[in-house]
This record gives sequence, C-alpha cells and structure tokens, in this order.
Amino acid sequence: MVAITRSLSPALVSERLSAVLLAATLGVGLLFVSGFAPVVALHNAAHDWRHSANFPCH
Amino acid sequence: MTKRLLAAALVAGFLAACVASVLQFALTSPLILAAEKYETAEAVAPATRHAFANPLIVLAHSGHGSAGHDHGGEPQWQPAPGLPRLAFTALATLVSGVGYALLLGAVLVATGRAVTPSEALRFGIGGFLAASLAPAVGLPPELPGIAAAALESRQLWWVATALATAVGLYLVAIRRGPVAIALGLALIVAPHVWGAPHGPEEISAMPPVYAAQFAARSLAIGFAFWAVLGLAFGWAWEAVAGTKGATRRSEVAA
Repeated sequence: MVAITRSLSPALVSERLSAVLLAATLGVGLLFVSGFAPVVALHNAAHDWRHSANFPCH
Repeated sequence: MTKRLLAAALVAGFLAACVASVLQFALTSPLILAAEKYETAEAVAPATRHAFANPLIVLAHSGHGSAGHDHGGEPQWQPAPGLPRLAFTALATLVSGVGYALLLGAVLVATGRAVTPSEALRFGIGGFLAASLAPAVGLPPELPGIAAAALESRQLWWVATALATAVGLYLVAIRRGPVAIALGLALIVAPHVWGAPHGPEEISAMPPVYAAQFAARSLAIGFAFWAVLGLAFGWAWEAVAGTKGATRRSEVAA
C-alpha cells in the first residue's frame, strides 16, 4: 500500500492559514451586515434580499 | 494566496449577485410588494396582531413598520420605492454574495483541495444545502406580514442549522469514514429534531398561493446563486493564477 503524504512548507501553511482566517472573518462580517444586523437602516436597505435569501427578518 | 482568494471571491460574489438580483426582480420582489399591501391592511387593526415579548423584536418591528410600511411612529430611513429599492436589494445581494464567496473560498482552501470550477461548484451546492435548503426546512422563506417567532431565536436556529449542516456535509462527503458519516448525518438531522422556533399560527388575508410561490422561488434563486457562486469562484481562481503566470512569463521574457 502506498501512502500518499503531502508535505507543505511551514511558510505555505501559515500563508494558507492567514488567507483562510482573513477570508472567513471578512465573509462573516459581510454576511452579518447584509443578513443579520439589527440596525433599522441596514434592515430596511437589505429587506427584500433578506426575505428572498431566507435570512430571518423581522 | 490571500490576494488570489480575495480577488476570486470578489468576482464570484459579483457574478452570483448579478444573476440573483435579476431573478429577484423578476420572481420575488413583485410578491413582496403584493404581500406588503396585505401587511399594511392588517396593521390597521393592530388588535389582530400578536405582541412579541422580546423588546428587540418590537424594536425591529416598529422600525421596519414605520419605515417600510407606514405603520406610524418615528420615520426611519428606507430606500425610496421603485428603482432605489431595487438598487439597495442588489447592493445587499452583492454584499452577501461576496461574503458567501469568501466563506466558500476559505473552506475550499482550508480543505486543501485543488480549486477547479467543478470542485468549487460541488462546494457551492454544499453551500446551498447548508445555508438555503436546511434552514428552509425548519424556517420556510417568509413573505412580510407572516407571523413568526422572536427574531433572535430564529437567527440563532438559522446559524446553528447552517453550521451543523455544513460540518455534517464535510464529514459525510469528504471525511467519509463510517464514524464520520454517522456523526455527519447526526449533525445534519439534529437541528430538525431539536425543532425550529415557530410563531403563532395566524390566519392572514393574503392568498396562500403567494406564500407557496415565494418559498419555491426563493429556493430556486438560492440554488442559482450558489451554483453561479461556485462555478465563478473556481473559474476566477484559475483565471487569477493565469494572469499571474502570464505576468511572470512576460517578466522572464523581458
């Protein structure tokens, strides 16, 4: 049986980790603003999209 | 890698938002406008509406009501009807599109798989199952004016269901061991066994066909959104690498 292992250099691992963390944080932030934020102005602006995308809305 | 991920997410989010916005204008926005007429009519007789115990819900309701549907109270900012409202709907779709594309890219890179359009499409369909279909099983897409449980409890259930389904799909489809599959299936089923928070059952004057059409169309738009998001992310990921490679080659040639 041949075991296939992929060895990644520590630099690549940390680069990948920082990319993933940054993208995930930004992504969650954007989704919160457009789909969940309770601020009335944000809610009103995104109202129709929140309904269509089935985010819980008012 | 960070720049490539951000660039691909911007492109994918933009393309998915374009498709989803056009579909919304054609399919769901007219239904929302029609439903708001009934919501306004019902609001005239507030005795028929339930009072929510949660103060935040009342706040959201009063703000939304006074702004969007002229329920009275302090005026709040809202997009003007017609084109501005459609523009803000498209903007919100774009913001969510880029947000979901960033999460899709983060998951693709974190799993260490080669990012191709077909692989990204598969993850996109996973995104549809986790963020659209699974929450919709417990909390079906609702038109304005339909009574529902407290907002925070629904938001909490929504997020928990999306996360549990996403992790469950990962365990079932990628880890694939017997234990992983059993745990994954349990995670996918658990939120529905727990049960979504439900509001009071009210009889609305709105024709039920509106609600049925809205739920089906909303899920169809969700599928188109996620399919385009996945395909476009894979394509943009390769395209960004292609331009980088071309630049490097031209640098070497020069």
